[in-house]
Amino acid sequence: MSRIFVFGDDIDTDVIAPGGYLHLGIEDVKKHCMEAIYPDFWKDVSKGDIIVAGKNFGTGSSREQAPVVLMELGISLILATSFARIFFRNAVNVGLPIGTITGPLEFKQGDDVNFDLEKGELIRAADHKAIKFKAPSGALADILSEGGIIPYTLKKLGRLPDEKR
Amino acid sequence: MRSKGKSAIEKVFSRLTSKDAHSGDFLWASPDLVYVHDVLGPMMLDSYRKLGNPALRYRGRTLFVYDHIFPPKDSASANNILSMKDFASLNGIESIPAGEGIEHTLLIERGDIKLGMFVVGSDSHTVTAGANGAFGAGLGSTDLACLLASGKTWFMVPETILFRLSGKFNRFVTGKDVILSIISKIGVDGANYRCMEFRTEGRAHLGLDERLAIANMTVEAGAKTCFLPPDVSQEKLIEIQSDEDARILEEFPVDLSSVEPEIAAPYSPGNVKHLSDLQGTKVNQVYIGNCANGTLSDLKEAAEILKHNHVREGVTMIVVPATRSIYSKALELGLIKIFLDSGAVVSPPTCGACAGLHMGVLGHDQVCISNTNRNFRGRMGDPTSKVYLANSYVAAAAAVEGKIVNPQEVF
Ligand code: SF4
Repeated sequence: MSRIFVFGDDIDTDVIAPGGYLHLGIEDVKKHCMEAIYPDFWKDVSKGDIIVAGKNFGTGSSREQAPVVLMELGISLILATSFARIFFRNAVNVGLPIGTITGPLEFKQGDDVNFDLEKGELIRAADHKAIKFKAPSGALADILSEGGIIPYTLKKLGRLPDEKR
Repeated sequence: MRSKGKSAIEKVFSRLTSKDAHSGDFLWASPDLVYVHDVLGPMMLDSYRKLGNPALRYRGRTLFVYDHIFPPKDSASANNILSMKDFASLNGIESIPAGEGIEHTLLIERGDIKLGMFVVGSDSHTVTAGANGAFGAGLGSTDLACLLASGKTWFMVPETILFRLSGKFNRFVTGKDVILSIISKIGVDGANYRCMEFRTEGRAHLGLDERLAIANMTVEAGAKTCFLPPDVSQEKLIEIQSDEDARILEEFPVDLSSVEPEIAAPYSPGNVKHLSDLQGTKVNQVYIGNCANGTLSDLKEAAEILKHNHVREGVTMIVVPATRSIYSKALELGLIKIFLDSGAVVSPPTCGACAGLHMGVLGHDQVCISNTNRNFRGRMGDPTSKVYLANSYVAAAAAVEGKIVNPQEVF
């Protein structure tokens, strides 16, 4: 079971991963994730939770710390009505599942849900209400299903991630 | 239906893949140049290790730049640079000496980013390459590691939106105002996944520094890449830019003579107001400089305002020339003396407080007017601080009065 965190439009990468902590590494960035709009986010979020947001999620910087910190905090899926280009790309590359929805969203903050990545379906536990989302397709789906572009590239280069070096 | 002509970006991807590339195509390509900075670099090295440290496929086409936190503010940032330098020397990558300047401005100045090239970088503002008639796109660190290891990365060929600029600039109006007014029109995602291409028509002309300001902030409208017409022959230009019969998604006319000084209010580069709507807004910091607007033109504009004026008590003004050579030229022209005499602080070239990194980070509730490109919550420091984005005349005039004023008033 996953819990929903709801965010609005244009959530930017400075809010997700503030610049002043990037040089210290992801453990430090974690404690400041979303702090400008939700200071306790890093404490409240737990493994498996989901973010649902409006348009242009991840606008701004190319900092990969943005999808990585959300993943490290346990986020298992981000749904938004649209994503900023680099965030979208980075999420796929680090293996963070994302999907687009058509608004407006009927689910609320704190709703417990289950989701099915393959079917592109989010189901609210309380009343079994379902909403559909569109996950990346084609080669991007392949990258995601490999767990990101590192395992994908290793396969392409002819070496598997667990192979001895 | 596919049109006969090609858009500029379709031409680029056709060249890179030796295939007939069309917007919407998914393809794997090898960019002409890759550059990586000291904030994403260490993460890229982590990814490279996870790939098993394979032989580098991008020797001769990769540059490391140390500009974001240079001079290092603490041992963590110093160690980040050291780790990159080690990797660079082991793998035959060119390390640009630290202190030379901010990457996007510097690589154009050094001649690394050339007409028609397709370049990628570990930074969203890699789009700035468009100022020099090249095509730049930002990528993340894992992406770059895989590119260096495998020699290719994936792209979707973007659609093109075209801006036709005509007319002449008004006094105290710069490229910054042009791009701010465009973002206010199309929105912060108005160009998402697209190439923003510009044409100048009639008497309109954009110098390199104006083009830098415009190209740099196309990413604030979500653009994947952009192209502005550089000062080259008409034949060259026709070769690179979109064909007349290319498929263009949307066209926008922009009359430069109708653009006024614009200001993006907190907390979005799309929250654009006319200067007159914000007059009187108090500020306690003024910041001039970054990859778009740390140019010699910007320093000249700020100095024009400060020549007969003084920075108001209680206001901190920080000036950051984008590169060593801009700094040096500003010194020769007497601009640095004007800044120092007027009470401003001059910093060495660095990204500095533009991204809240060092050298002028804002504290609780501080209000800054800056000629940089982003004013998100917490962008320049404390989450409660506020940033207004404006051109250099407007920012410098605010330093004199401690509030937003029309530059005419202090000139
Ligand atoms: S000057 Fe600012 S916007 Fe430009 S590369 Fe540096 S941090 Fe990014």
